[in-house]
Amino acid sequence: MLPSISAGIWRGAQHILRTSRVAPRRTGLCTCAGIPGELCDAGTIFALSSGHGRCGVAVVRVSGPASTTALRCMAGLTHSLLTPRTALLRSITDPQSKEVLDRGLVLWFPGPHSFTGEDSAEFHIHGGPAVITAVLQALGSLPGMRPAEAGEFTRRAFHAGKLGLTEVEGLGDLIHAETEAQRRQALRQMCGDLGRLYQDWTSRLKRCLAHVEAFIDFSEDELIEDGVLNQVDTSVCDLQAEMERHLKDERRGERLRSGVQVVIAGATNAGKSSLLNTLCQRPAAIVSPIAGTTRDVVETALDIGGFPAVLSDTAGLRDSPDLVEREGVRRARERCMCVCVCRLCYVMHLFKSDLLFLSSFPSERCLLVLNKTDLVSEEWRQQLETELRRSSGLPPVCLISCQTNEGLQDFLAALHSSIKALCGDPLSGAPSLTQARHRAHLQQCVAALSQYHRYRDTDLALAAEGVRLALTSLGRITGRVGAEEILDIIFKDFCIGK
Amino acid sequence: MAASIEPLCVHGCRRFVTLSKTFPSFLLRFSRTASHLARHKYDVIVVGGGHAGTEAAAAAARVGAETLLVTQKIHTIGALSCNPSLGGVGKGHLVKEVDALDGLCGRAGDWAGIHFSILNRRKGPAVWGPRAQLDRELYRQFIQSELLSTPRLTVLEGSVEELLLTEPDPEEPGHHRVTGIRLANGSQPVSASSVVLTTGTFLSGSLFMGQTTSPGGRIGDAPSSAGLSHTLRERLGLRVGRLRTGTPPRIVKDSVDFSLASLHAPDKQPTPFSFLNTHTRCKPEEQLPCYLTHTTPGVEKVVRESLHLNCHIQQDTKGPRYCPSIESRVLRFPGRRHQVWLEPEGLTSDLLYPQGLSMTMPPDVQLCLIREIPPLHRAEIHTPGYGVQYDFVCPTQLSPALQVKSTQGLFLAGQINGTTGYEEAAAQGLWAGVNAGRWALSMPPVALSRTESYIGVLIDDLVSRGVTEPYRMFTSRAEFRTSLRPDNADLRLTLKGFEEVGCVSSLRYQEAVRVRDSLQDALAALQSLVLPTSSWKKILGDVGISETKNSILNGMDLLQYNNVSFEMLASAFPERFSPHLEFSQRLEIEAIYRPHCDLQRKEMERIQREESLSLPPDMDYLSLPVSLSQEVREILDRVRPSTVSLSTKELNLVFSQSNQQHQAQQLLW
Repeated sequence: MLPSISAGIWRGAQHILRTSRVAPRRTGLCTCAGIPGELCDAGTIFALSSGHGRCGVAVVRVSGPASTTALRCMAGLTHSLLTPRTALLRSITDPQSKEVLDRGLVLWFPGPHSFTGEDSAEFHIHGGPAVITAVLQALGSLPGMRPAEAGEFTRRAFHAGKLGLTEVEGLGDLIHAETEAQRRQALRQMCGDLGRLYQDWTSRLKRCLAHVEAFIDFSEDELIEDGVLNQVDTSVCDLQAEMERHLKDERRGERLRSGVQVVIAGATNAGKSSLLNTLCQRPAAIVSPIAGTTRDVVETALDIGGFPAVLSDTAGLRDSPDLVEREGVRRARERCMCVCVCRLCYVMHLFKSDLLFLSSFPSERCLLVLNKTDLVSEEWRQQLETELRRSSGLPPVCLISCQTNEGLQDFLAALHSSIKALCGDPLSGAPSLTQARHRAHLQQCVAALSQYHRYRDTDLALAAEGVRLALTSLGRITGRVGAEEILDIIFKDFCIGK
Repeated sequence: MAASIEPLCVHGCRRFVTLSKTFPSFLLRFSRTASHLARHKYDVIVVGGGHAGTEAAAAAARVGAETLLVTQKIHTIGALSCNPSLGGVGKGHLVKEVDALDGLCGRAGDWAGIHFSILNRRKGPAVWGPRAQLDRELYRQFIQSELLSTPRLTVLEGSVEELLLTEPDPEEPGHHRVTGIRLANGSQPVSASSVVLTTGTFLSGSLFMGQTTSPGGRIGDAPSSAGLSHTLRERLGLRVGRLRTGTPPRIVKDSVDFSLASLHAPDKQPTPFSFLNTHTRCKPEEQLPCYLTHTTPGVEKVVRESLHLNCHIQQDTKGPRYCPSIESRVLRFPGRRHQVWLEPEGLTSDLLYPQGLSMTMPPDVQLCLIREIPPLHRAEIHTPGYGVQYDFVCPTQLSPALQVKSTQGLFLAGQINGTTGYEEAAAQGLWAGVNAGRWALSMPPVALSRTESYIGVLIDDLVSRGVTEPYRMFTSRAEFRTSLRPDNADLRLTLKGFEEVGCVSSLRYQEAVRVRDSLQDALAALQSLVLPTSSWKKILGDVGISETKNSILNGMDLLQYNNVSFEMLASAFPERFSPHLEFSQRLEIEAIYRPHCDLQRKEMERIQREESLSLPPDMDYLSLPVSLSQEVREILDRVRPSTVSLSTKELNLVFSQSNQQHQAQQLLW
C-alpha cells in the first residue's frame, strides 16, 4: 500500500538539488593524480540488477572503467567488435577456465551516455540461480571488479548528474541507498553464526583502533604506556590470521538459504504455526491451544507463485519467565529485523504496541494478517473493518481463518505481490552476491591490517590509518563505526586527563 | 623585557609590534564608553573578549565589516582564564588552521610562548601536536595590541542587556532577525546587521567552591546580565543545556620543592605556530621548563573524605571526560597514580599552574590535598580552584556558518556552543566572525568541509551531532587525518581564505602562493629525477633501499625512506635541489603521505559532493514514493536535514544507537 503521491509536492522539486557551494578547490600538493583506491568509492562494480528469484532473463549490470575488460574477457568482445548500445548474442565464458557459462545478450554503453555516466555493460543471461551465480563469480574474479554496495549504481548515477534531478524518484532512491538499504544490509548480517563472527571481529578491531588512537591523542600528557601498542600488535596479528583462515575455508561458513525470507510473527496463540502448516499443506510445525508452543524458528522452503521463499514460523512475542521461550522470542525478533515481509496478528488483540512495531518496517514489506475470523460475529467484523479503514499508515490487511480457509486466496495473492515486489528490488541482495561482497570486504580488511604492521614503527598516523581502513571495510558488512564509538572505548579503558 | 625584543620579519612582513612597558596607556586611547561611541550603527557587534570573541571581531573586520567588540573589561581581553598553554595534539592543528586563515592565536602564541614543544614527535607528522606554555601577560598584550590596531574595529567596555530583534527578511529562512544590542547602563541601543555572541561560561554561569556558589563565569569578574540568557531561551526559544568545567588552584612558585619532581625540558629549537614566523620571540635558551609529578594515595583519601563538602562534584551536570577534576579522576579510576604537570605561568610570574588538579572543594581542603603531593608538601595556594556551571545553546540549532538557524544575523561561537578549550573557541570565533561580516555585507555564507580542515570537522560535528559533554578536538575525530596535517594548513586554507572567503591579507596570500609554487617546483624536480636502484645506492650509500632487480625509483620514492633526507639529496644534486632547501621538512612529509592522500581523494570528493547537495526544507518525507520505513520517514521529517550528507549522518546516528541497544539486548539474554 504505497502512500498517495501528491503531485503538488513534487512539482516544486525540480530545483531540489542544487549545488549550494562552489566545490572546494583542492589546491597545491593535495591535488594528486588518481590512483584507483580499492577502499574508496571507486573501481568497477557489478550487480544482478533484475533482482533474484526465478525469472526468464536475468540482467547483470557492470559499471566502471573495467567494463570493457569484462566484455573482452567474458564475451570475447575485443575493441573492434564493441558497438555502443547494440545487443549482441555471445557465449559468456569464465575468464580463467574458459568454460562456457551461458549464451546471452551483451550490451556496451560507453560513458558518459549510460545510466551511471561511466562505461557500463549489461549481460542478459538465463535466469537460473546456477547461471547467475557463475556469471557473478566470474565477474568478481576479474581485476578491479567488485560487487556493488547497496544503492551504489543509483549513487553513481546521481553523482554523475544522470538521475534526472527533476525526478523525485532519483532523490528518494538516493536517500534510500544512503540509509535504508545499508541499514537493512547491516542488520541482515547480524544474525546467525556468521553474523556473530563478524561482530566479534568488529568489536576487537574497534578496541585496537581505540587503543592506537588513545596512544596518538593522549599519551604525551597521560599515563598510557607503550605496552598498549604491543597488545594491539598481537590483536592485529590474530585478527589477520583468523580472517585469512576464514577466507581460505572452502566451506565458506554457513550456507545462506536462497529465497525471500517470509517471517510469520505476532502474539502467542494467534495461529502462526497454523498458518505455516496451511501454507505448506503439511503439519510442519506443532500446533496446540497452549500459548507459547512454538519456541524455535521453524523454517520451510516454499514456492509462492514461482518465487522461492523461506517461510519462518516464530515464537509468539510476549514476555515470558521461561528461559527457553525468552530465547525463542529473541530469535523471533531478530528474524523480524532481518527481513520482515509478513506479520501475523491475532484478531482480538490489535494492540497499539503491535502497530508501533509494524511501523518500523516499510509498509510494502508487511502484511497484517488477522486470523480466526470464524470466531467473531459479523457485527464485530464490520466494526473492525471500519476501524481499520480509519487508521492510516497500516500495511495491507488480510482477514483469514486457518480453520475454514476463509480469505486464504486473498492472502496468497497479497503475499505473492509482496514477494514479487521484493524480488524485483535489486537492493535486497541475492545470497551469492552477498557472499562475494563479504569476501571482497574481508580481503580489503586483511590488506589494510598489513598497513598497520608496515608503519607501526615509523609513522603511527599511517599505521592507525590501516586499522581505520580495516574497520571501514568490515563496517561495510556490519555497519558503520563512528568516531564517537571509538572515543567511548578510549574513555572507558583509560583515565584521560590533560 | 622590551629590550630583548626584535621585530620578527618574514619576507619583509613585520608582524610583531614592539610593545613598550607603557602598554596600558596605549590601550586607553582606544577604549571607549558607550556615550563616546563614534557611531551607533555597526555592521557586526561581537559580545565577549575571550578567544572566540577576539578572533570573531578581528575576522569580521578583516572581511571588511565595521565591527564593534563589547566586553565587560577591556583589561581582560585575551586573558587565559585557565591553563597557560596553547596547542597540543589536535588543538595544535586548529591553531595552525586559524593562523592559516590569518587569525590571531598562532602569532600570539609565538609572541607569548615561553616553552615550546612538538608533541607526538615520534608518531608521524600528521599527528604532531605543536604546543607552547604561555606567559599570560604577553599573550594578553599581544591580542590587545592586535585588536586595537585593526582597522574598522572599535572596542567598547560594557555589559550587554539584551538583543534587539525584529521581523525576518522574508527572502531568507528564519523566524527573527537581529538588529543590534542594548547595553546594561541604559544608554541608547547600538544597531548592527550581525551579532556574534561569545559569552563563554558567563551565560547563567555559577561558580562553585566547597559548599558555596555564586553567580559568575570567571572569578573576579561580574556575572553577565540575565537579560541575554532570557532573550535566547524565551524570545528565541533556543534549547539550552548545562555543562560544567573547573580550574585548579594557582600555587606559589617559591613554596614548591622541585627536587621532588622530574624536569621536563622544552624543544631545543622552538617551532613557531604561525606560517609567517620563522622563529619565536622567546630565545631557545630563555625557555622555562615544566615539571612532572604524580598523585599519591593520600590525595584519594582527601577527596573521599571531603565529598560531603563539595557540591559541584555531587551534581550530575555533564563535565568533560578528558579533562576531569581530580575528584572525578580518583573516583572513576581509584587506586591509580595520576599525572600532575607543574607549569610556569609566565617569565616573571611567581605562580605555578598544576595541570591535572582542577578541584572544587573548600580552600582549606584544597591545601590539604595538594600537600599530599611530594613536591607540593609545603606549597602555598595563591588562588584556590573552583568549578563553573554554565548554559550552552544546543549547537544543532546552528547552520554550518555558525548562525542560529531561526535568527538571521545571530552567530554563536565558543563555549556557548558546548565546546571547551581556547583553540576550539578561536576556530569557531574566526568562522563565526567571517560569516557575521559576510552577512552584514550581503555576501553568501561560507562553509568549511570536514574533508579540508579540522575547523570543518569541529563545526560539522557540532551542528550535525550536537554535544553531550564539553567538546574537545582530537585527531581521531578527523577521517582524513593524513591529509589534514599541521604542516599543510596554509595550502589547505590560506589560498581559499583569500580567494573565496576574504579573511586573509594579501601579504599572507602572496607568501602562501610563493610556498605553493616552490613546493610544486620542488616536487616536480624530485619526480623527474629517475634512477635505477643501483645508482641511488652508489650516490647515497647504504640507506636501506631494498634490492629489487631492475627497479627504478624517483626522488619522491627515495624520500619515503626513513634514512633519506632532502638534505642528502640536495648535497648529491645541489643544482637541482639546493634552491628548495627551505622546504626540506615539508617535502619529506609530503613524500610520506602523498600516496595515502591520493587514496583518500575519491572518498573526500564524494563527501564534498554530498555536503553540497541541499535538500529542500519543505520536503514531504512521509509520502516520498520510495521504499523507506516509517521510522526513517519520521526521523527525516523531524530533523529536516539541509543536505544529503546530513540526512545520512543523522540516520546513522540514530541507527548506531539502536544497533547498540539491539546488541545490548542480545547480551542481556
